[in-house]
Amino acid sequence: MLDLDMTPYAAFVWPAWGVSALVLAALAARAVIASRKWKRELERLEKDQSATSDAADSNRPQVAQSAVGPKE
Amino acid sequence: MFGLANPERFMRFTRPVTPGLWALAVALLAVGTWLSFTAPEDYQQGDTVRIMFVHVPAATLGLMAYAALGISSFFALVFRHALADAAARAAALPGAAFTALALFTGSLWGQPMWGTWWVWDARLTSVLVLFLFYLGYMALRASIDDEQKGARAAAVLGLVGLINLPIVKFSVDWWNTLHQPASFLTPGSSGLDPVYLPPFLTMLAAYGVLFSALWLTAIRTEVRRRRVLTLRARKALEA
Repeated sequence: MLDLDMTPYAAFVWPAWGVSALVLAALAARAVIASRKWKRELERLEKDQSATSDAADSNRPQVAQSAVGPKE
Repeated sequence: MFGLANPERFMRFTRPVTPGLWALAVALLAVGTWLSFTAPEDYQQGDTVRIMFVHVPAATLGLMAYAALGISSFFALVFRHALADAAARAAALPGAAFTALALFTGSLWGQPMWGTWWVWDARLTSVLVLFLFYLGYMALRASIDDEQKGARAAAVLGLVGLINLPIVKFSVDWWNTLHQPASFLTPGSSGLDPVYLPPFLTMLAAYGVLFSALWLTAIRTEVRRRRVLTLRARKALEA
């Protein structure tokens, strides 16, 4: 049976649980937000980099595609 | 196991594991909370016994996170392994938060049971020292501009702090303290009443799994952050 009546210790039990919940939620939120931020930034830079290297490749002379096979 | 020391392999392995850990942590926290508030109140401590279900797991994880930080620091110092350094760094913030929670909830438990919010006894003081080691580790890393130098200095501090772990653990046996001695799984002690075992063990598992999820996520973030910094530096050189 759920017991939410903490009398006479409500002033101790609820802050202990409340602050624990807040801190754990903040830790989780911070971890997820930071993870997404750096993931996005890495994807953007990798896309930029592959575009730059593709552009650089297209400027170089190349033998017939059939001679070197498909690009991986 | 050692294969995971390779950052790429680590990222591949932890990619499906991390969301699973997050889901398990949320489920365990929900079940543990339900069990904590359906357990009967203690005949002496009344409802304050429910503070135990958040206090003991927080204290346990505060210690375990520091062990993770210290061991990772050792590997980072000895083998100069980037992933070990990332693991040490990633353990610091959650560990500090768990230790702060242990101090805060312990104080809230101490006031109605001992009649005081704080006492400078061996257990409480050594846990406060543990918290200060966490703060010192993070402050030292942040205070040195050269990231590698900062990491090495912090790793040395992290290793030194390992000495404090047995002091925290055995402080209640070595000195007279207001804090109760270890009562869970200790032979000869009165132990925890079986009625409190399900909520206690569930919350302990929940905190453990949550820390694992936080730790892995933070290590993965750190690996990505370093890759971004490398790419930015390369781009700046090419420009």
